[in-house]
Amino acid sequence: MSLKPTIGIETHIELNTKTKMFCRCAVVDTDEPNISLCPTCIGLPGALPVPNKKAIEFITLLALSTGCEITSKGMFHRKNYFYPDLPKNYQISQFDLPVGLNGELEIIIDENKDYIEIERVHMEEDTGKSSHSGSGRIESATSTALDFNRSGVPLVEIVTKPVISSSKQAVAYIEELRQLSIDLNISEGRLEKGNLRFDANISVAPEGSTELGTKVEIKNMNSLRSLERAIDYEIQRQIKALEEGVEIVQETRHWDENKEMTSTMRSKEGSADYRYFSDPDLPDMLLSEDFIAEVETLMPLLPKAQREELMTTGLSLSQSNILSKSDEWIKKLYVKVFDQTKDSVASYNWITGELQGQMRKANIEVLPEWFNDDYLPEIIELIKSDKISFTSAKIILTEILTTDTTPSKVAEENNLYQENDSEKISEMINHIIEENQDIVDRIKSGEDKLVGFLVGQLMKQSNGSVNPGMAKELLLKELED
Amino acid sequence: MDASQLSIREINSLFTKKELKPSELYSKVFENAANSEAALHAHLTLFEEENIKKAAESDKRFSKDESASLLDGIPIAIKDNINIKNYKTTCSSKMLSNYTSPYDATVIKKLKEHNALFTGKTNLDEFAMGSSTENSAFGLTKNPWNTDYVPGGSSGGSAASVGARSSIAALGSDTGGSIRQPASFCGLVGFKPTYGTVSRFGLVAFASSLDQIGPITKTVDDSRIIFSSISGKDSRDATSVINNQLDIPSDNAATIGVIKELMEDGISDEAKNEVNKVVEILKSKGYKVKEISIPIIKLSISIYYLIAPAECSANLARFDGVRYGLRIDGNTSYEMMENTRAEGFGAEVKRRILLGTYALSAGYYDEYYGKALQARKEMIDEFAETFKDFDYLISPTTPTQAFKSGEKTSNPLEMYMSDLCTIPANLAGLPAISIPTGLSKDELPLGVQVMSKPLSDNSLLDFSEIIENEVQFDGQPKGWL
Repeated sequence: MSLKPTIGIETHIELNTKTKMFCRCAVVDTDEPNISLCPTCIGLPGALPVPNKKAIEFITLLALSTGCEITSKGMFHRKNYFYPDLPKNYQISQFDLPVGLNGELEIIIDENKDYIEIERVHMEEDTGKSSHSGSGRIESATSTALDFNRSGVPLVEIVTKPVISSSKQAVAYIEELRQLSIDLNISEGRLEKGNLRFDANISVAPEGSTELGTKVEIKNMNSLRSLERAIDYEIQRQIKALEEGVEIVQETRHWDENKEMTSTMRSKEGSADYRYFSDPDLPDMLLSEDFIAEVETLMPLLPKAQREELMTTGLSLSQSNILSKSDEWIKKLYVKVFDQTKDSVASYNWITGELQGQMRKANIEVLPEWFNDDYLPEIIELIKSDKISFTSAKIILTEILTTDTTPSKVAEENNLYQENDSEKISEMINHIIEENQDIVDRIKSGEDKLVGFLVGQLMKQSNGSVNPGMAKELLLKELED
Repeated sequence: MDASQLSIREINSLFTKKELKPSELYSKVFENAANSEAALHAHLTLFEEENIKKAAESDKRFSKDESASLLDGIPIAIKDNINIKNYKTTCSSKMLSNYTSPYDATVIKKLKEHNALFTGKTNLDEFAMGSSTENSAFGLTKNPWNTDYVPGGSSGGSAASVGARSSIAALGSDTGGSIRQPASFCGLVGFKPTYGTVSRFGLVAFASSLDQIGPITKTVDDSRIIFSSISGKDSRDATSVINNQLDIPSDNAATIGVIKELMEDGISDEAKNEVNKVVEILKSKGYKVKEISIPIIKLSISIYYLIAPAECSANLARFDGVRYGLRIDGNTSYEMMENTRAEGFGAEVKRRILLGTYALSAGYYDEYYGKALQARKEMIDEFAETFKDFDYLISPTTPTQAFKSGEKTSNPLEMYMSDLCTIPANLAGLPAISIPTGLSKDELPLGVQVMSKPLSDNSLLDFSEIIENEVQFDGQPKGWL
C-alpha cells in the first residue's frame, strides 16, 4: 500500500500599514518594548476598537489578487482564549464571513505551473510578544516579559485547501505568496522578521483514497528551509507510524529546529474551544461595490502576469519565475537591458548571474547612481561583436560597479579591446613560434597540450587583446603547415 | 430657597442673574453629601477638594457673563464604570480597586467641555451586573426614600445621589434597565437613549450591544440637557451613530400603545395603576391610547440572560492580573490569572461569566446564543412593525416598588425578573425613559416607562415632559437636606 501526503497551509502576513488595526498607534519596528501603546491595544477597561480602513483595503486587495469571492457583508468575530500577551484575552478575527473565499494561487516549480486552491482570506489582529525566562514555554517559565508594540498590528490570514502534496509545493506556495504580498505593497514580506508566519496541516492516506488521514498541525517553522524539512520529517513520521500499525493522533506538533524533528505540543482533547461570536463593538464589515472598485485600481501587475510578460521576451518559465521574485530594480533593469539588446538569455544571465554575483561578493546592495541603464547592453554588445572577451567583460563590470566611468572607457584604458585582424594575429603567432621553437617541436612530436601554452603566451604578449578563439584557430593552422 | 432642589435650567438662570454662584451650589451639594453618605453610601469617592477650584472658575465665568453652557457649574455624579482621567474606576469590583484610568471617557470629555463639575464616583453593582446595588465589593447603597430598601441597580449610587441631592444630576449606564429601574425606585427621571447615540468609549463594557450611558435626573428637561451635551457620533466608538433625530408628534396627534404583556401576571397592581393613571390623563388630553400585544416581549429575560452574559464573558476576560488591577500570584502565568479572577470577581459576576461561556461553547452555541440572537432579531422586527401604528409605548418601569435590602439576594431569578419591563428597550436599541408618577402605599416611588422608535429621543423627551407636567409628581425623599 502506497501512502500519499496531503498538506494545507495557514499563513499570517503582517500588513505594512502605518497604524494598528483597531487604534491609531504607530506600527513600529524596534526592540525597545512597549513604546507604541494606547488604551485600546493594551485592553484597558472601557477602550473600544475602530477598524483601520487601509488594512481592510489591503486584505481586500490580497483576496482579489488571488481570485477570491469577496464577502460584501463581512463580520468581525471574537476568538476567545487566555494568554498573557493577548490583552483582551480575545483576539478580533473573522469566522464564517471572511473578506475572501475560494481563490487560487499559481505556483511554479522548475518549468511547471501548478495551482493551489485558497479556502479563505481574512483579517486578524496580532498579539503582543512574550519572552519566557527559565524555559521557552509558558507552562514552565519562571517569569514572562511582555511587549505590546505588536499587539493590534493588522494581519491577514490565508488558508489553503488541503491540496498541497509535497514540501516542494509548500515552499513554492510560500515563495509565491511572499512575492505577491510584496508586489501588492501590503507587507515587507520579510520572513526573518516574522512578516510571514506559517503553520502546516499534514495527513497521509492510502493512494486513491477519497478520505484524508488524521490531521496533524505543525507550528514553529520560521524559514522556508524549516518548512521544507518539517514537512518532510512529518510525512515520513506518519508513514512510518501507519506502516507499523500505530494510529496517528490529531494534535499540534512543534518543529524543533535544532533536533530537526516534530514533537507533541497539545492534543485535540486539550485544544481550545475558541467560542467565536460576532464582536458587538464592531458593525458589519461592508465591502461595497464602490469600495471594491476603488481597491481594484490599486492592483499592480501580479507575479503571474509578470511571468507571462517575461516569457514573451524569450525567457523560460523558471527564468521568468526567478525574475518575478527578484527585487523591483532587477525586474526593471531586465526590461531595459532586454529592450536594448533584444537578447533575453544574455540579459538574464548578465543580470542574475554576473551582476548580482559581483554585487554580492563586493557587498554592494544597490547599484551605484552612475550605473547607467545603457552599460549592460553596451557590454553585451561588445561581447557579441567580438570586441571584447568574456573575461574582459567581467573586468569591465567590476570596474564600473566601483568607479564612475563607462564600459568603453574601461576597455580603452585597459586595452581590453581584442584584436580581430587575422593578419595582425598571424604576425604575432609567427613571432611566438620563432621564440618557442622547442615547444613547437614537442607539439609536433605529439604533446598537444602545449598548444594551450602557446595561446597563453600570445595572450600575454598582446595584453589579452587578441580574440582567443581566432588565435587558437590560426595557431593550429600555422603549426600544421 | 435650596438651590439643590432646582432643575438645571432654574439653576442656570440664577447663575446667569448672579443670584447664585456655582461655588455656593457646590458647597450645598457637598453639605447634602455630608448629611446622607453615611446612611446611603451613594458615592464611592467624593471629589470635593479638587473641584473647588473648578467651581471658582465657573463663578468667574458667570461673573463676567462668559458662560456658554447650561451645565457650567452643575455638579454631576458619575457612575464608577465610566472613566475619568487620573481617577479610580473600580466598577465596584475588588478586581479594579486599585485601578486609575489614564484617559477620559468621551462623555466625560464632553461634560468637561461644558464645564460641568463632578461630585465623585457612585456605587454600582459590580461591573453593572445587578438590580439592587447590593453586588458591590465596597458595600451596598440604600434607597434615600427608606433606607430599608434598595435604590435599584445597577446605577443605584447615581440614583441615590440625585435623590439625596448630593448631586444635581448623575450619569448611569443601562444594559437591561440599570438607569430606569433605580430612577423609578428613587422617584427620579431615568433616560436610556437610543443605542449608539451616546458614545460608549470609556464606559467599562458589560454587554457591548446593550450598554448605553444616560442621565438620572430630577426632571425630564434635565435629562434632555444632559443628553444633548453627551450625545453625538464618536470616531472612537464604531457603534456610535450620527444623532439624526426623527421628529414624531408629541402632542395629541400621537398614538399611544399600552403593552399588554407588561400589564399581566408578575406586575403588581400598584405598578399597573400608575400606567392606568397616565393613560386616563392622556385620554383626557385627546391622545389615542390602545392596548397592543407584542408577544415576543415574554421572551425578553431569556434572550437577555443569554446575550448579556455571553458578551460579558468576553468583555471581562481582560481582567487577568497581567497588566493592571488586582494580581494574586501563582506558580505560573495561568495560575496567577486563575487566582486573580477567583479572588477579584464577586459571585454574580462569576455566575454570568459562567453562563455566557457555556452559552458560547462548542455544541451549545446554536442552541443558546444562536437562538437568542435570532429571537432578538425577531423582537427588533416586531417593535419596528408596532411603531408603524404607534408613536409611544407605555408600561410600568418595574413590576413592583423597590424591594428590601437582602430580600432577593439569595434568589437571582427573582432579582432578574425586576428588569422584565426595561430589558426589551436594550434588546431592540430603543430610547426609553422612566418618569416618576406616584407613591406606593409604603410611600415608595413608582414610575412609568415610555419607549419610542430608535432616534426619536427628542420627541420621546418632549412627550415625557407632557406626562411629567400633567402628573405633577413632586415627592422627594426626606431627611437629607
